[in-house]
Amino acid sequence: MRMANWAVSLLAAIGIATLAVSGASAQTEHEKQLYEAAKKEGSVTWYSGILDQQICDQIGQAFQAKYPGIQFSVIKTTSQVAFQRLLQDLKAGQVQADVFTTTDIGHMLFLKSKDQLVQYEPDNEAGMAKAVQNVDPDGYYHTGWVGLSAIVYNTNKVKPADVPKDWPDLTDAKWQNQITFGSPNYSGMVGVWTVAMAERYGWDYFTKLNTLNPQIGRSIDDSVTVLNSGERIVGMGNPATAIRSAAKGNPLAVVYPSSGTLMVISPSAIIKGTTHPNAAKLFMEFATGPEYSKILAQNFEQPLRTDVPPSPGAKALADMTLFAPTAQQIEQELPPNKAKWRDTFGM
Amino acid sequence: MSRPSLAPGLDGTRPAPTNPEPNLVAARPARFGLRLDLWSLIWIGATLILVFLVVAPMLRLLISSFQSTETGAFTVSNYVAAYANQRRLIGLGNSLLYGAAVVAVSIAFAVPLAWAVARTDMPGKGVVRATVLGAFITPSYLGAIGWILLAGPNAGWINRIWMALTGSHAGVFNVYSFGGLVLVTALYAFPYIFVFTADALDRVSSEMEEAAHILGMSPLRTVFKVTLPLVLPAILGGSIIVFLDTVALFGTPAVIALPARINIMTLQLWQFFEFPVRAEAAAAYAVPLVLITIAMLGLQKLILGRKGYVSLSGKSGGRQLMKLGKLRWVVLAGCLVVCALAVFLPYAALAQAAFSRAWGQGFSFANLTLSNFAYLFNDGSSRQVILNTFVYSAATACVAVVLALIVAYVVSRRLVIGGGILSALCMAPLVVPGIVLAIGFYAVYSSPPFALYGTAAILVLGFTTRFLPIAFANCMAGLRSLNPEMEEAVRILGGSRLLAVRRVVVPLLKKSLVGTWLLVFIPASRELSTAIFLVAAKTRVISVLILDLSENGSFELLAALGFFLLGVTILIVLIGYRLVGRDFLLRRA
Repeated sequence: MRMANWAVSLLAAIGIATLAVSGASAQTEHEKQLYEAAKKEGSVTWYSGILDQQICDQIGQAFQAKYPGIQFSVIKTTSQVAFQRLLQDLKAGQVQADVFTTTDIGHMLFLKSKDQLVQYEPDNEAGMAKAVQNVDPDGYYHTGWVGLSAIVYNTNKVKPADVPKDWPDLTDAKWQNQITFGSPNYSGMVGVWTVAMAERYGWDYFTKLNTLNPQIGRSIDDSVTVLNSGERIVGMGNPATAIRSAAKGNPLAVVYPSSGTLMVISPSAIIKGTTHPNAAKLFMEFATGPEYSKILAQNFEQPLRTDVPPSPGAKALADMTLFAPTAQQIEQELPPNKAKWRDTFGM
Repeated sequence: MSRPSLAPGLDGTRPAPTNPEPNLVAARPARFGLRLDLWSLIWIGATLILVFLVVAPMLRLLISSFQSTETGAFTVSNYVAAYANQRRLIGLGNSLLYGAAVVAVSIAFAVPLAWAVARTDMPGKGVVRATVLGAFITPSYLGAIGWILLAGPNAGWINRIWMALTGSHAGVFNVYSFGGLVLVTALYAFPYIFVFTADALDRVSSEMEEAAHILGMSPLRTVFKVTLPLVLPAILGGSIIVFLDTVALFGTPAVIALPARINIMTLQLWQFFEFPVRAEAAAAYAVPLVLITIAMLGLQKLILGRKGYVSLSGKSGGRQLMKLGKLRWVVLAGCLVVCALAVFLPYAALAQAAFSRAWGQGFSFANLTLSNFAYLFNDGSSRQVILNTFVYSAATACVAVVLALIVAYVVSRRLVIGGGILSALCMAPLVVPGIVLAIGFYAVYSSPPFALYGTAAILVLGFTTRFLPIAFANCMAGLRSLNPEMEEAVRILGGSRLLAVRRVVVPLLKKSLVGTWLLVFIPASRELSTAIFLVAAKTRVISVLILDLSENGSFELLAALGFFLLGVTILIVLIGYRLVGRDFLLRRA
């Protein structure tokens, strides 16, 4: 055990060192300037509403390895908590977060409208997949993570011939008492799913789903637990969670729906009033660069760049049909959808 | 016997009538002054801390419930948003029903178990006590999933066995129902009442039971007419805690009530925190809960009335355990059924995940592994998280017990006017949704002059506020059973109140205080809603780790963590038994 640990840490160290070396060789003039200025500021703090603590820590370690002399701290909570905290900080005039990332683009629209964000367009954004570039035409916020919604199923219990190919297949009568998904009242991802499905197939889509007696959980990630337990066998879920669990040997598989995998962009932005503006910009470069995407892929998350391959079993963003409702559309349609959801499903 | 005076200032200066040496009186004032100051200082200090911990965040809550989200101007629109909606009112009604049902089931589990453990010669008491406290530490999310694995309508073990045996197409139990919700919640809440009641039963001497016996009462009748009525304050105190805890619970309803489509208040409340966040409306929704708390305390007062519940007096009576004969095996079987429902069965189901590489594959030897446990121990950050949790929870338990004892003493011995307000203050935080409380905390204490954000202190303070009610309720129940005449004796002999508390009250309530400590320690170690707002990278706790693991689908690790917590709790209970002596938790005879 001790030996294995030692080997793992060595491998990790080599990995980080390699990243650092490859990164260092690729430093551009702009990056060098930012780094010099950032070194004087000494630190950068990231409020992360995405990923988990472990992945956030890996990102921090890679950042510090690439840019020695800059202390990186990450505070990882849920997006709503991170946002509430940020608002309290701003109210008190104490900006603690230099960079903020949230799963809820509404947070960014709000902060942008209140003039609380710094406009900055990272050079590295050019290497990102087209679908995730320029989320904000004014360049205030940029893609920090993408959440995908696809079809997930239990491979032990669903016959290959029965595997659903596209969203409307989920309304088939054979999934009576067998289907599971989350609720838009508790999960932003599910909320966007309602916007997309209602736009494509009309609200009738959900009325049909309700006749199947679906099991409604809270978040999009609940599906994986429910499918593994065998309580339900097919559902709408997050491919990253399903592939991570499948990699351990669990009987799960992902179908990227033929008409479109749903994509929700979680943006990152620099907070106005930060005392570390250059370090914050440097981190924005890092978060749009290849090392960050590699860490995502290693952890079964979707890499954002075209030059970083996805984890085994997953598709690259460029290879899938994507469907992404706009922020404005979500803002307009989500609240009435939540009300409709309550009427349809009773919760 | 003189009644305790209302103002502490008068106590210290009252000349002791039995003072044997009048010539010392002249030298007294200075010494009295010092004693008086020390005692006043302590209770004034306790009140100040209470203000700091409870009043500030609660006041903020009340004020913000009347503020507009946008402008901060005075408005009642939050109350309209929170209550002018039939679905919300139904949710509130369901929550009250849910709370009451959980209390009823919890009493049915807890009181017989407590009686069997404290008053009879039933074998295996140690196992029962340790298992009950083990159930208590089970994170509600994990306990609920354990029960879904057992009683899920499609794939639950119990239902599959039933279907295999009877050839039926439908299972017998559906965990996704109101009954399922109540049962699963009660299984992890009844330990509150169990600890309260067992502590109280431990203190009751057998004199009155013997008197009843001499007067010809049957043993069973004695239990219902004499023993249990004496511990009514403890049962009620525990019940109030269970009720408030249930009404404010989110974890179990999120996993069971939501799929069952049962509309519960906390599920509604959570929606206020989806963007656009309406924390003010959430505050408005929570304010009536505080009123409910006050009503519960009023009800308690009404039920307890002016009857005496003193069970410990100067003359210590013996305590005879009831000899059950052959029946003791039947009673043990009953206790083990409850233990099985709360721990053995769900953990057997969870074992499939904790000891598997991939739990969805089901049981096979190839799938067996200890790597999930190895990961928890070897991973530096998991180790840190586990250590943090135990250190913070232990610190919280210590602070809460000391504070609660002081305030409970001041209130129960009527040393101040307005003790009722102090009681209400001490009980209120439990019912305020943790996340609302945490927002108040973050606002008040993260900015200067406190600037506590990122420190362990803010977590310990937050947890202390949240769980003070439990400590307070238990201390009140303990003090009610203590005859003030023993403290009066100390005073008459010239000792200070402080001395009376230190040398009489604390030693007599020792067992109860350790029980109280555990009752704070365990919930603090599983608290999520306060923690998630106050943790920083270096101060993360287990509940936050559990959330991470559940979100990224690592259920194998999550289950392993549950087993680890169960094991550690049993260990802590055993250490508690070593420290306090053989007569404590694992009482044998």
